[in-house]
Amino acid sequence: MAGTVIGPGLSIEGELTSQEEVVVQGTLRGTLTAKDAVSVAPGGAVEADIEAVSLSVGGNVTGNVTVTERVDIQAGGRLIGDVKASRLTIADGASFKGNVDMDV
Amino acid sequence: MAEGSVIGQGTAVRGNVRGEGSIEIYGRVEGDVQVTGDVTLGENASVRGDIAGARITIAGTVAGELRGSEAIVLESTAQTAGDLTAPRIAIEEGARARGMLRMEEPGGAPASRASEQRRPAPRPVEAPRRVEAPRASAMEAPRAAPPPPRPEPLAQKKAPPAPVVPAFRGLHGRKKKIRARS
Repeated sequence: MAGTVIGPGLSIEGELTSQEEVVVQGTLRGTLTAKDAVSVAPGGAVEADIEAVSLSVGGNVTGNVTVTERVDIQAGGRLIGDVKASRLTIADGASFKGNVDMDV
Repeated sequence: MAEGSVIGQGTAVRGNVRGEGSIEIYGRVEGDVQVTGDVTLGENASVRGDIAGARITIAGTVAGELRGSEAIVLESTAQTAGDLTAPRIAIEEGARARGMLRMEEPGGAPASRASEQRRPAPRPVEAPRRVEAPRASAMEAPRAAPPPPRPEPLAQKKAPPAPVVPAFRGLHGRKKKIRARS
């Protein structure tokens, strides 16, 4: 079982802090801090600054992203915001708008 | 997994959680939870805020009002401080609840007139204070009890040696000295 799942149809407005994996299939507005992987599934929407170990974007993300490992924007995923991560992949069909800081 | 939501054990939410579907909470939520489906609160989970859902099953701690359109079930480990409203309410032995119980539809069925006259507004925020109050007084009571016995025996012992013997000796001494000089 994934640690925390925000199911489709559910929306959270506020701060979400987690020690475990977070999957967003619904909506989250506010801030998202996780000490594990975060994934925004297709159909999921996050309007929040995200701090995590890794981030996978299949849905929509609006906000700045700070990640210690990697960010993957999948086909169909959309990310608007600045990304700070050591690794970043953007799949064909993904959209991205923002600055990238890869700690070079 | 696709239809439900889970707030895991290591997760804390500060804010409101709303929407469709069911939710299982094993972490902490500070804010209201309002879903169309069922709400399950795990044993070590806590919610500070109101909960609304279809069938609400509580094994953890809630400080806030509960409104179930189908039922509310308080399991033996549950602790709630706030009013409970649902057509069916079950409270297992061991569960601790504080607040008013209304066995009716949360929307406000005819039976709600009488109960609303008695207490018009829900007060979920004040409820936790009331829970703490009896514990504090119970702790103070034994401490306050011992002091009374002390004063009584002390007063009795001090009373007898009151006679003023040294003053009498002093008079003798002075008289002798005066006689010797004259």
